[in-house]
Amino acid sequence: MQRRNFIVSSVAAAVLLVAAPALAQESSRLVIGTTVEPRSFDPAQAQEGTQIPYYQAVYDTLILREPDGSLAPMLASAWEYDETLLKLTLTLRDDVTFTDGTTFDADDVVASFAHFAEANGPQVNTVASVKEVTAVSPTEVLIELNEPDPAFLIYLTNAAGFIASSESLASDSLITTPVGSGPYTLDASSTMIGSRYHFVKKDDYWGRDLPYDEIDFMVLPDETARLNALRSGQINTAIFGSAASGDEAERAGLTRVPIEVDWHGLTFFDRAGTLNPAVGDVRVRQAINYALNRQLLLESFELGQGTATSQIWGKSSLGYVPELDTAYAYDPDKARALLAEAGYANGLDLTIPVTTIFDDATLVAVQQMLLDVGINAEYQEVPLSDFFGELRSGNQAMTYMWFFQPTDWQLINQFLAPTATWNVFDYADETVAALSERIQTGADEDRAAAAQELNRYIVDQAWFAPLYRVVKQNFVDDKTTVVPQVEQSAPSIYNYAPKN
Amino acid sequence: MIAFLARRLLSSIVLVIAVSFVGFVLLALASGDTAQNMLGQNATQEQIDAKNVELGLDQSIPVRYGLWLASAARGDFGRSWFTGENVIQSLASRLPVTLSLVAGVMVFAALIAFTLGSVAAIRRGKIDRFVQIFSAMGFGMPGFLVALLLVTLFSIQLGWFPATGYVEPQVSLGGWLSTIALPIIALSVNTIAGVTQQVRSAVAETLQKDFVRTLRSRGLPERTIIVKHVLRNAATPALTVLALQFVGLLGGSVVVESIFALPGLGSMAIRYTERGDVPVIMGLIVLTVIIVVVVNLLVDLAIGWLNPKARVE
Repeated sequence: MQRRNFIVSSVAAAVLLVAAPALAQESSRLVIGTTVEPRSFDPAQAQEGTQIPYYQAVYDTLILREPDGSLAPMLASAWEYDETLLKLTLTLRDDVTFTDGTTFDADDVVASFAHFAEANGPQVNTVASVKEVTAVSPTEVLIELNEPDPAFLIYLTNAAGFIASSESLASDSLITTPVGSGPYTLDASSTMIGSRYHFVKKDDYWGRDLPYDEIDFMVLPDETARLNALRSGQINTAIFGSAASGDEAERAGLTRVPIEVDWHGLTFFDRAGTLNPAVGDVRVRQAINYALNRQLLLESFELGQGTATSQIWGKSSLGYVPELDTAYAYDPDKARALLAEAGYANGLDLTIPVTTIFDDATLVAVQQMLLDVGINAEYQEVPLSDFFGELRSGNQAMTYMWFFQPTDWQLINQFLAPTATWNVFDYADETVAALSERIQTGADEDRAAAAQELNRYIVDQAWFAPLYRVVKQNFVDDKTTVVPQVEQSAPSIYNYAPKN
Repeated sequence: MIAFLARRLLSSIVLVIAVSFVGFVLLALASGDTAQNMLGQNATQEQIDAKNVELGLDQSIPVRYGLWLASAARGDFGRSWFTGENVIQSLASRLPVTLSLVAGVMVFAALIAFTLGSVAAIRRGKIDRFVQIFSAMGFGMPGFLVALLLVTLFSIQLGWFPATGYVEPQVSLGGWLSTIALPIIALSVNTIAGVTQQVRSAVAETLQKDFVRTLRSRGLPERTIIVKHVLRNAATPALTVLALQFVGLLGGSVVVESIFALPGLGSMAIRYTERGDVPVIMGLIVLTVIIVVVVNLLVDLAIGWLNPKARVE
């Protein structure tokens, strides 16, 4: 009898020993499977997109962006531009404390902006228009701009808006130990940098009472591992890179939470025809647009997960025009006619740089569609580590690429303005300049009208040959709900809740 | 013995410098645009240039290596460019994961291989043929394929083991076992196959030796002959193979750690090399050389203990 009891007790103990970790997971915890980790918890080094939730856990921003894109108070309870749009006054909360015990005030905002500008982080360009930041009083900050910046308030909801304790900014410890006022604190004892980050909710947080007591980020760069973790219940949510993985997740009973934030397609850098005269001819660029059967590509290679489009503006932007999605309906005959009109009836050659992250089948199909109208597109393989540098080298007339769809003013500064990051040949256009100025300085109604007019012009001039906007393959399990965040690759941490 | 150890230490230092230099040059040539990778696709050329200066990438390769070597000699391997973590701390947190995986494989594989190989050599016949077929199959099964099969069956479908992640043994012994079991099995298959064959051949050869006949003629029990004499003599070549396997396991752990999301040195190697995180990769190179040197030394000492003829005077 004693021996049997001993055996039963031993077996029970062994079961509990193995099951203990599972049993311990009953607390209110959200586990997010992610592909990236933060480079540093210094907010000046914050990268946006999928890294943003890490920073949101421990820092507050000056302004909060709601899931639908509207702005709400956060560390700034109110804000107002003057009539020149060059002076922005922020009224700050006076009841916020950092984790180092210091009280948040205007000096922290001033110090954060100065640090952000000096630190050469990934988002330093978002404060390029800032001339000076002054603490008018402990609860009032004046930000003076060099020129009107219609996207500036959006920047304050993101990397540029994260405020750390000014006492912590000079210390290297900020790299691994955040000192913010956010809803959670980083639990260093349960964190393995680069692998697993554990955040615990603050009891005395001044702001919204978020539903989870703990948030974990599990860094799972391998897509198979991420899918397995979600399917087996180890994580509650994850984003996958391919429609095929999304399809597999859906068949496993997981819930897709769709949002379109990226577009895939061709970008024409050489609009003046400096490298390749053909690319400088609008008729050739339009012909390329007509040659592409976008819907077929979307159905075949993205499993229909997205929207075929001829515009690079996103649906949440002021400049989005619904009918421009079908501006270039598939018409190979028209493509050939345009090429003939441009003097390329016998065909032409194009070189398109590509890299490993692009789907080979899509590229082959695009190449075939172009060949069908007489365009011989040769792909030039470039290693991923060199790809962006090669695109900006001035050696490429065009490229295949995936791009994020930002707000209108960000789009202009990333793609259209002569100084834009992706205007590689610094191509200047009077119509673009005039409409950009209206967007920069106009009232909201005029701004929207100007953005839509600009969009129409860019589509007509075929500066791009977009294929489609793709659905981000964001999935949750049956215990979790999430609202997608507009113009953001990953949902904000505020948007998650347990499913009741 | 002291002279032997001193010679080993000196040659190890030379080896570390040589391997680190070659590694540094290869990294420098193959890393691509690290600054661009850190800053993202929308970074301007001014930002990239400033980042290159900050990281020292505007200097020549020999200068950069010299600075790294001087710093490393003082024990300062810097910080990761992509996580900000101190390199030594980063390696120290991941080393136990890989060591527990590789050591687990070595122990598990040695137990299985010695058992199977010995039984095959002693019993012969059908058992021997089964073991040889099993070994051949094991050779042909890539570790990543075994890993995927195991995770699909035991984690996803049956839910007996976690699909990903790692629990430190000091946090939960049961959790650690549950997270390390499938990776160990996946990584053991090739090793078992190789070592089994080696043990089988060595035991079979040793059984034919005159001293075994002599021991039998003296009336020693067969079990004593096998355990105390035959296996001891056959162990040397098997241990040598195991030592070689250890180096291969360090490389093989890369894929298995990625599939199971184990935060070890293998998954670190892939991820940080892709990004061009030079400080971490250099630290990893030095650590790997040290591990290989130490393991080879331990194996040599073990062989010397087992076989007095192999001892260095």
